[in-house]
Amino acid sequence: MAPVEIHGLSKRFRNVLAVNDLSFDVEAGRVTGFLGPNGAGKSTTLRALLGLVRPTAGTATFGGARYDELERPSATVGAVLEDASFHPGRTGRNHLRVLAVTGMHPPERVDVVLDAVGLTAAADRLVKGYSMGMRQRLAIAAALLGDPEVLILDEPTNGLDPPGIAWMRGMLREQAGRGRAVLISSHLLAEVAQSVDDVVVIANGQMRGHGTLEQVLGGDEGPSTEVRSQDDQLLMRALKAAGHSVTPLAAGGLIVPAVSPKDVGVIAHDAGVYLIGLGQQSRSLEQAFFALTGGESTS
Amino acid sequence: MSALLQAELLKLRTTRTFIALVAASLALSLLVVVLVSILGDNFTKQDVRDLFTADFTGLFIILLGVIGMAGEWRHRTITSTVLAAPDRIRLLAAKMVSYAAAGALLSLIVTLTIMLVGTIILSVRGEETAAMSDLVDVLWRNLLVAALVGALGVGIGAVVRNQIAAIVGVLFIAFVLEPTLLGLAEDYGKFGPTQGAPGGIIQATGFDGEDQDYLLSTGIAVLVMLGWIGLFFAAAAARLRGSDLV
Repeated sequence: MAPVEIHGLSKRFRNVLAVNDLSFDVEAGRVTGFLGPNGAGKSTTLRALLGLVRPTAGTATFGGARYDELERPSATVGAVLEDASFHPGRTGRNHLRVLAVTGMHPPERVDVVLDAVGLTAAADRLVKGYSMGMRQRLAIAAALLGDPEVLILDEPTNGLDPPGIAWMRGMLREQAGRGRAVLISSHLLAEVAQSVDDVVVIANGQMRGHGTLEQVLGGDEGPSTEVRSQDDQLLMRALKAAGHSVTPLAAGGLIVPAVSPKDVGVIAHDAGVYLIGLGQQSRSLEQAFFALTGGESTS
Repeated sequence: MSALLQAELLKLRTTRTFIALVAASLALSLLVVVLVSILGDNFTKQDVRDLFTADFTGLFIILLGVIGMAGEWRHRTITSTVLAAPDRIRLLAAKMVSYAAAGALLSLIVTLTIMLVGTIILSVRGEETAAMSDLVDVLWRNLLVAALVGALGVGIGAVVRNQIAAIVGVLFIAFVLEPTLLGLAEDYGKFGPTQGAPGGIIQATGFDGEDQDYLLSTGIAVLVMLGWIGLFFAAAAARLRGSDLV
């Protein structure tokens, strides 16, 4: 059973079908990017997962249990929502103290997470004096308070400066490295590409692509391999004999769709062809995103 | 539930609004008691008893309850609150209980203070002072009213959600609608949640010194207040449970 399971999830708001029969899992120890254009249904999906909106159909569960069925929700799931808000008249530390009491977490965790997000120095200032980036860090601190098994992050890099984004990237990888399941929605495709293991792409509330980052970047056929050798003709014959299609490049070299560099290398070795260059050729995440969602690439 | 209660009480005492309203309640109650104790004369025991019902905690705690609940929508903190406590009905109940407890505590502080200050002034002036039994009687009645209206304020805030509209509505009911009803149709006004039923619990005499015979008996008044609280709890629970937090 995966830490996060979404099966046949649909949500209708009056005449708008915001999410339509969406299904995917988020695995432990992996960062899953949840991508889609504005209005695609990402936030609605995450809110349904967190019990904030009621699904019209389908289920969204953590280890088989709905969020509101979890005994200590914040010890299982940490969430940062896009519009994370705080009482402006309360300090950052007090905000976390309230959440620690509610979630029955040890009070020492407050200082631990404040330190983890770099807010210790500002902890006793009123939240109304915080910058957007500081508020975002506070929201992340709140999510980490219960040291949860699952992190759900909706546009968590909003308001963060470049060092903050780099810190976020490191934090995500560290959490995944500790076996946590991380689901992150973001519109910053380049940022996501550096952080995630798996990708889920939705548009108009429907699934458009799902798989490892490599699979999604490779398109329907998977990643292609670009290879240069001392004898392209001989290599091409060997590849075709192995049942692969090959496209010669005008400047020299071959493109072999849907075959990994490793397999191409093995075939070249068996054919006795020396290789000069070998590498995976894939789309950028932006290209993949636009191809999957029906938009146009700007690159 | 106890964790939720602790959290709500912590929320309450870590905002300036709470401190400001406590100070205002204490200051206003003291002002009335000090002025009446200094300027009045020929006090009877009943006058002194009535003087110590001048605990304005009820007004402030009902507003605090409204602000505490409707403020969750105003500051858009309702999402993080529900994430921390996904059982929305327990959350609502915890808020009501915590504001009831805060009301009782606040009233305890204010009532004991005005009793102490008023008794000292009246003693120095050689006026009548209240018997201990009267002081105890006023104390528990003040505490009960403050607790009940604290819970009611949370219910009103959860139903109305618009903080300004809820505050204006409560002030209108407390200072315009219910006094008018009590003046023109006391048979209906005595069931009101901010003046009528609380008046039945306090059982003070009127400004003219005459008994307010139309008031509900204490027991019935408590039941009426519990009815108001139950009504708002049910309406708020239905609204809270059925709504998507988007």
